[in-house]
Amino acid sequence: MKSKLLIFYPFMLIAFALFSFKSSIQKMVLDFSLKNVNDKIVSTSSYKNAKGFIIVFTCNHCPFAKLYSKRLNDLNAKYSKLNVPLLAINSMDSLVYEEETFELMKQKAKKDKFNFPYLQDANQTIGKLFGAEHTPTAYVIWKEKNHWTIKYVGSIDDNGEHPEKATPFISNAVDELLQNKNVTESETESFGCRIFYRKN
Amino acid sequence: MKKILIAILIIVSVINAQAQYNNLWIPDTLSGTTFNLNIKDTFRQIVSTGQQTITGGINGNFWGPTLFINKGDVVHMNVKNNLNDTTTLHWHGMHLPAVMDGGPHQTIPPGTTWQPYWTVNNNAATYWYHPHLHEMTEEQITKGIGGLIIVRDVVESALPLPRKYGVDDIPLVLTDRDFSSANQFQVVPYGDSMLTNGTLRAQYSVPAQVIRFRILNGAIERSYNIGFSDSRSFSVITSDGGLLNAPVAVTKYLLHAGERVEILVNCTGQNGTSVDLKAYNSLLAGSVAGGENFPNGPFANFLGKKDFNLLHLNIGAQTANPITNFPTSLITNVLLNSANANVTRKLTMTDSAGVPGILGPNAFILNHKLFSLNVNDYSVPLNNTEIWEITNTTAFGHPFHIHDVEFNILDVNGVAPVPAQAGWKDVVFVPGKVGPNGTPQVVRFIAKFDDFADSLHPFMFHCHISLHEDEGMMGQFVVTDKTTGIRNIEKNNPLFSIYPNPTSAKIFVKMDEKNASAYYVKILNALGRTILMLPRPDLSQGIDISSFPKGIYHLILTDEKYKQTTSKTFVVE
Repeated sequence: MKSKLLIFYPFMLIAFALFSFKSSIQKMVLDFSLKNVNDKIVSTSSYKNAKGFIIVFTCNHCPFAKLYSKRLNDLNAKYSKLNVPLLAINSMDSLVYEEETFELMKQKAKKDKFNFPYLQDANQTIGKLFGAEHTPTAYVIWKEKNHWTIKYVGSIDDNGEHPEKATPFISNAVDELLQNKNVTESETESFGCRIFYRKN
Repeated sequence: MKKILIAILIIVSVINAQAQYNNLWIPDTLSGTTFNLNIKDTFRQIVSTGQQTITGGINGNFWGPTLFINKGDVVHMNVKNNLNDTTTLHWHGMHLPAVMDGGPHQTIPPGTTWQPYWTVNNNAATYWYHPHLHEMTEEQITKGIGGLIIVRDVVESALPLPRKYGVDDIPLVLTDRDFSSANQFQVVPYGDSMLTNGTLRAQYSVPAQVIRFRILNGAIERSYNIGFSDSRSFSVITSDGGLLNAPVAVTKYLLHAGERVEILVNCTGQNGTSVDLKAYNSLLAGSVAGGENFPNGPFANFLGKKDFNLLHLNIGAQTANPITNFPTSLITNVLLNSANANVTRKLTMTDSAGVPGILGPNAFILNHKLFSLNVNDYSVPLNNTEIWEITNTTAFGHPFHIHDVEFNILDVNGVAPVPAQAGWKDVVFVPGKVGPNGTPQVVRFIAKFDDFADSLHPFMFHCHISLHEDEGMMGQFVVTDKTTGIRNIEKNNPLFSIYPNPTSAKIFVKMDEKNASAYYVKILNALGRTILMLPRPDLSQGIDISSFPKGIYHLILTDEKYKQTTSKTFVVE
């Protein structure tokens, strides 16, 4: 069956905007598609069995985001099997900052052996849609009928340098959702390197 | 047995007392004439447990290295902006060309290297460097981007003063910050927590001799009324821009945002004791930053109108060759004479009520208008000696800073400055009026503008409270030289050649016109990103491009005489 790849066109922005609410939690998002570092388009709609996604806005240069490469691989290894795959998105302004170019994204994905798609949000539209302000910022979105609902937004965990001491916010949220429970801690503070959005 | 128990109790109580403190971080040092400064996003464990704090740093993970430079040397700065945002780096207090000054006009895009250089003209004292990007200064300083500059000269070096950095000559950068529940800095004017050199609850061990503290008020807004917990006398030896004539004994010293002071404290014979350096801010009037005590709102803070510790000092064994006495005299300052002033400029500080703009009525402004990058407020003729008279009609005091020059305070409401302020300054506190119907406060200073005429790049003057500056309490001036001004004549684009082309190590520029020189050279890559920015470059040695990846580049040259621009393309292979 031919997959419904939703290539991101400007008119779709309007549709997304209509489905955006002020608070991130419980906000609905439609399917989106972005280019992966393997030059192929990845769409949320192509994951037919996905119950949800772990969406992480990250980037190449941010020293704090760099601390999380292994943890992102571990999260994807664990939860993609349970149909909650991880998608990493780079919404940084690559026109202004060369460190964030697609070519360097490819190099980073290779160097850090990413086992998940690392997607370029070249027009910064998906970052704006989610309201991501920093890298890293994590979201857990969950399938509800024909859209995705944001169930968690915030940090990946609460200790960048010492994972062994960290409370795993993402894991906790996904575990609860997999058990059909509400997310106990659905919103935490996100911080890191600021995503500067181009003015349209 | 009883004695042993008492001894154990004493030891335990001492350990507990020490445990509440963190050891003061001392910034690294760089010295010489070429300095590589890498401004970057980073993080640091500032709160002892939990999440690291996102910070900005220069070379390290908070703040930057202390630069030791010598008067008379030509210093070259390689400033690489590795933030993902534009920034600037201003050399606060340095007397240098406007195009090297690092003010809001000398922006450094992300990924770009800026290479200013200058001959150090300043007297021995403590200066600093910090971002100055308009409307982003508060945010970038809050991240911790900045550093100290220590200028040395032969006069200061000959005096019997402590100068063993980190031992008896100790830098103290005073700031305060608010932390979120996840240990992150909040961009607010006042913080709940004191940070001395980026250290919470700082302590330090000093030898039992004369200690020199070089203190910078690097806060966003707060002033610190410095004193010691045992009310001991200490001596002020510098104002912002140089040594005073003689040490001035005080028991309190009020330091405002942007100001520096060097003090001497005599700890001789006090081995085994401790004392606290404190901010006695309960003594501050409500018109002084930090003297307010707002219970709510954006200015509410835990430290408002309170006394609090800046540094806990443990006094230990004396070092070899200690300084044990204060010198009785320092240098002979020749101050500017108001009889020689060419002009008196009158400035006003008001609130923004009724001023068109995006701000509400509660912001502060200069000369009844918001700052605009595109408006030159004053043209100062080269070699002018000027009196600047600043009248503050607001109910709040403002530390006024001017770039380019060090000045002498003439008077504050007609009264000559106190001895500790009677030297070279680049920040002056203009007090707020007392009460709603109080009299406006007037400060006058005198400065000589004897160098660095430049018709394109201005110098700034502003309130050094970063929030006020970002909101528009700022102005700018150019220094003009009528003898070299170009008016009403044809301006030619500069003609020059570049060689070798292709190249791999250096690119040389040859101006066609005899005696022509470059005002600015920028090199852009094929995508139009600025890679290198060279204000007034010395082209005789060529431009080092050995680190450039292979590709096509554009060299854009603005000439000194006509300020016209031409570009040429070259290839790196």
